[in-house]
Amino acid sequence: MASKKAGGGLKRYWPRLLLLIPFFAVLWVPFYNRLEPALGGVPFFYWYQLAWILVGAALVLSVYLIETRITHALERTRTLLERTDAPGDIL
Amino acid sequence: MSLHLPATIVFVALFLFVTWLGFVAARWRKADLNLLHEWGLGGRRFGTIVTWFLLGGDLYTAYTFIAVPALVFGKGAMGFFAVPYTILIYPILYLVFPRLWAIAHARGHVTAADFVRDHFGSRMLALAIALTGIVATMPYIALQLVGMEVVIGALGFPGGGLLGHLPLIIAFTILAAFTYTSGLRAPALIAIVKDMLIFMTVFAAIVLIPAKLGGYGAIFASVPQEKLTLAPPEGASLGSHSAYATLALGSALALFLYPHSMTGILSASDGNVVRRNAALLAAYSFILGLIALLGYMAIAAGVEKDPAYAAGFTQYGANFAVPALFLASFPSWFVGVAFASIAIGALVPAAIMSIACANLFTRNLYKEFLRPDCTEAQEATVAKIVSLVVKIGAVVFILAIPQAYAIQLQLLGGIWIIQLLPAILLGLYARSCNASALLIGWGAGLAIGTYMAGTQGFASSVYPLSAFGVTIPGYAALYSVLVNFALAIGLTPLFNRGVQPTDR
Repeated sequence: MASKKAGGGLKRYWPRLLLLIPFFAVLWVPFYNRLEPALGGVPFFYWYQLAWILVGAALVLSVYLIETRITHALERTRTLLERTDAPGDIL
Repeated sequence: MSLHLPATIVFVALFLFVTWLGFVAARWRKADLNLLHEWGLGGRRFGTIVTWFLLGGDLYTAYTFIAVPALVFGKGAMGFFAVPYTILIYPILYLVFPRLWAIAHARGHVTAADFVRDHFGSRMLALAIALTGIVATMPYIALQLVGMEVVIGALGFPGGGLLGHLPLIIAFTILAAFTYTSGLRAPALIAIVKDMLIFMTVFAAIVLIPAKLGGYGAIFASVPQEKLTLAPPEGASLGSHSAYATLALGSALALFLYPHSMTGILSASDGNVVRRNAALLAAYSFILGLIALLGYMAIAAGVEKDPAYAAGFTQYGANFAVPALFLASFPSWFVGVAFASIAIGALVPAAIMSIACANLFTRNLYKEFLRPDCTEAQEATVAKIVSLVVKIGAVVFILAIPQAYAIQLQLLGGIWIIQLLPAILLGLYARSCNASALLIGWGAGLAIGTYMAGTQGFASSVYPLSAFGVTIPGYAALYSVLVNFALAIGLTPLFNRGVQPTDR
């Protein structure tokens, strides 16, 4: 899915490739369908998947931060006269 | 079962509080609620934090909190597929939906069918999308009632009969009334309270219960060994492995196609709000993972063998595991908090789902086919009335039809809703795709998916696909949507030949 770019090309959207990692990590079931190594009594099957929730979130956050930075950099180099939209209100 | 008094008092008090909140919500960020996008999308003004609560309250429903641990309690590791599912949701949300948000915002779309109507210029395809959305969501609303019914029953209200259903009917009447007056603002505001309660409950559960049971090691040790992992595949079959992976992937792809998820996304104030939430909503996923483990805690606590809960298990089956665990582990007043979090957790998605169905009916059936010349105020009025009809329908559904049908229909709903994926995805990213080809793909996907579930007696959505001597049991939704994609893409050149391209 990451290969279907909205335009702007690899320069802008390469970080999205990172989003493919969780798919490999959790869809290859034989890799983690086992009890050992257990962590504090929690079998591998469970702590591995719970840990991937956190890693997955960290990956999405990184992609967001990197893309925001790239977008800003691209905008600065363009030195457009018009200002960009204000960032969405927080609450 | 006798009535648990402190629990019931806390439960009712919290319920009354959110009822008040639901009506007050009409005045929150005051605007003209006689406009559909104000009533049905909160004016598209929800920022990162409100959207976080709204989507979280929307996607993780009362039924999730009851059914996921119940599945783990009953079937062990297989029930844990909700965790990889929830991991995959967010990359998909990040990749696909900010773009949909941007187009919908620019062109004033309120529903996914609006987008399809506008992009492909096909009324029939839009109608197909709208009807699929409504039909798939109805049983989902009904299942929210199941979640609520279990906790009300666990409080000790007499089950069965009209009297037994009375608390449920009252709760849904309240829900219908504040949804009617406040629109999407009500569930958005209530979602904040709901989440506070859920977080408190889950935090208490993961700290107090394991401490009582002797730690996580002891909990896992008390679960039968064969339940802890997926059964290893035998012979020429990928067995439980492919079933687990396809269930996770298919469910993740289907989630954001549901009208209520779409409503949550489109009400955001900015595409970046959607992106940020793709990262921040993972906090909920972690909660869901912990909630799934409640199923094992219920096994370790031995609630099933406790005569005090025998009646509950007889009536509600494995769905009673979590309520029984709470009753056995928490002081009565806190049981009230925990049960209220589940019941209020049913109100939020039920409200959003009924609003989403109302939006679909109004925009894509009423305005498109019945009254193209209706005014904006009429549009909003129709939506409000439809949201009432939908909720009455859900209550009748639960009271009149055996619960097993609601569960089977919800299972089928997942298979049906995923058939919208080609139209949305190809609409967003492919240069041109033919509406007729998409319609044929949609029909074929629906038929094949339903047939596959039918071969399993509608009891399971895992279909054992055999190819080249290998059996690959997998989620029927995923198999059928692949057929859908193949037809939509494959038939497009045929339909487009000799015809002026209709795509913009």
